Amino acid sequence: MNIVTPKKVLTISIFLSLLLILVILISITIGSVKVPPLRSIRILFQSILGLRGAGSDTERTIILSLRLPRAILAGLVGAGLSVSGAAFQALLRNPLADPYLLGVSSGAAVGAIIAILLGLGTFSLGLPLASFLGALLTILVVFYFGRQDGKIRPNTLLLAGVITGSFLSALIMFFISVSQREELHTIIFWLMGDFSFSSPRAILIIFPYILLGVFLLYLRSRHLNLILSGEENAVQLGVDVEKLKLLSYLLASLITAASVSACGLIGFVGLIIPHSVRLIFGPDHRLLIPSAALLGASFLIASDTLARTLLAPVELPVGVITAALGGPFFIYLLRTRKVIKTL
Amino acid sequence: MKNLPPKFPPLTPALRTGSLTLLFFLILSFSISYSAERTFKDEVGREVTFPFPPKRIVSLAPNITEILFGLGLDGEIAGVSIHCNFPEKAKTKVRVGSYINLDYEKITSVTPDLIIATGAGNTREMVDRLEQLGFPVYVIHPKNFEDILESIIHIGQVVNREKEARVIIKGMKKRSLRVIELTKDLPRPKVFVQIGDAPMVTVGKGSFADDLIRIAGGENIAGNEKEVYPRFGMEEILKRSPEVIVISSMNPEGDYQKVLQEWNRWKTIPAVKDGRVHIMNSDLIDRPSPRIVDGLEDLARILHPERFKK
Repeated sequence: MNIVTPKKVLTISIFLSLLLILVILISITIGSVKVPPLRSIRILFQSILGLRGAGSDTERTIILSLRLPRAILAGLVGAGLSVSGAAFQALLRNPLADPYLLGVSSGAAVGAIIAILLGLGTFSLGLPLASFLGALLTILVVFYFGRQDGKIRPNTLLLAGVITGSFLSALIMFFISVSQREELHTIIFWLMGDFSFSSPRAILIIFPYILLGVFLLYLRSRHLNLILSGEENAVQLGVDVEKLKLLSYLLASLITAASVSACGLIGFVGLIIPHSVRLIFGPDHRLLIPSAALLGASFLIASDTLARTLLAPVELPVGVITAALGGPFFIYLLRTRKVIKTL
Repeated sequence: MKNLPPKFPPLTPALRTGSLTLLFFLILSFSISYSAERTFKDEVGREVTFPFPPKRIVSLAPNITEILFGLGLDGEIAGVSIHCNFPEKAKTKVRVGSYINLDYEKITSVTPDLIIATGAGNTREMVDRLEQLGFPVYVIHPKNFEDILESIIHIGQVVNREKEARVIIKGMKKRSLRVIELTKDLPRPKVFVQIGDAPMVTVGKGSFADDLIRIAGGENIAGNEKEVYPRFGMEEILKRSPEVIVISSMNPEGDYQKVLQEWNRWKTIPAVKDGRVHIMNSDLIDRPSPRIVDGLEDLARILHPERFKK
């Protein structure tokens, strides 16, 4: 079970990809307006092939301009957050690590809130840009404070990240307390994670960061495996440990920054997906990273679909569903302690 | 003689009339095909182009719905927000979402040719997203009583009911001028309007209620606050000792006793001591629609009971 071969990676990836495609197909057939499932699927395939026949203009708009971008964005963010979570868990050698631990998400939130309060939300790209800038600044600050003697030390990084995150959370609470009614709505909904504005443009902006980040981390899979057994061991086996730590920190943070800028804070995905994959397939990053990406994508698309249908016509924030599923699962993990052994 | 250039036929009167008529119909047909769409500039400066007159209109806020019904539209209203509760008929229309969450699928499925949104309540992201989906959105943004009259005219122009709009605002102007006339020489009581419970939120400069207080002959104790909806602590209210307290509630009959009980703890406030704690329907003083003038008259009656004995 614990030997990873390229064939095994390929087989499992194909299986998970098929699952992902199934989840996407199901999600585009579900929505507040009833479109017959077969017609939705035909509309999708016809548009891929460049044809136009099936469905009325209204139905095509609903499927192709509303449901499909939403599914794709949720898939990208789910994949990104899962891989980012796995990378942080390796970098900090801590099973409790998730993409938001080092304060990047709080930095993104502060950037977004400042943009909203300054009225910059009136520019179409204002919010994502501001939150991305906030995230980048946080990445730099935490990186600067997370080093000791010019090297990244996991515990120092963790401390720097948690303290920066707490400070930024206090800032968020301050801004909320002084903001007006209309701004509050926007802020709170953004903080809770929201895919309702998914548009092709958002996808185009996000996907380079996520795809690049996931791919580059995947290339470092063997090194990530080695660093888990301790830094001294890894150095002796030829790994440039400082460069690996820097790279994984930057890539994982960039993925997180892009995700949060696109759709706000969606918790638990970066925590439970990597651990679930480890429980099923083992901790080898050569299998963990692609599996976490694919499974994370399916999970978030499914959660978002649930979020918009459970209490229809009310749309729940997707963060509510991931937390509702993630919370109990996390407690279960702690009690079985299987995860901590394998990490 | 054989190679003379050909001569045009002479322009007889019949030929001239005939060609002018042809020219006229040609021009007419061109102008008809272009008048199917019109471009308007909305209240936030955007150019909006849509088929005129619009036959399937979606309203994204309750005040817009009230204005549309007030202008005599009904069948043309294809969708309203979930908050739209007046007139009764509005409740039978298709619901397309709330301020926080628009149901874009629903909106798409009712195929609107025009969507009307408000700058106070609907967000820029929503408007952008709707435009991306191909729907023209006309945005109004009234900030005080005069602006509401302007917005009613603008909406009237946009839905081809300008005449009806002018009739409505003529009535509103007449009633508001009457209120000003009847209260102009009276002393202005200090007023506190409460629109939120925990925390206590009141109305500052830039809100409709503040404007109404001014027109109705009162003085808003929060009228100098630069925030539109400032949050006051009880100490601040005690310090400013209002003579009249008006509570804006979505459920006036139900909330009155409870609210009165809350305020009765603070008997040093003149308004409480004199029993001048009133409750009003928030739809009448916080919603920029034709009924705001009803709110104005109710408020004037509350502030100057001696002048408005009825």
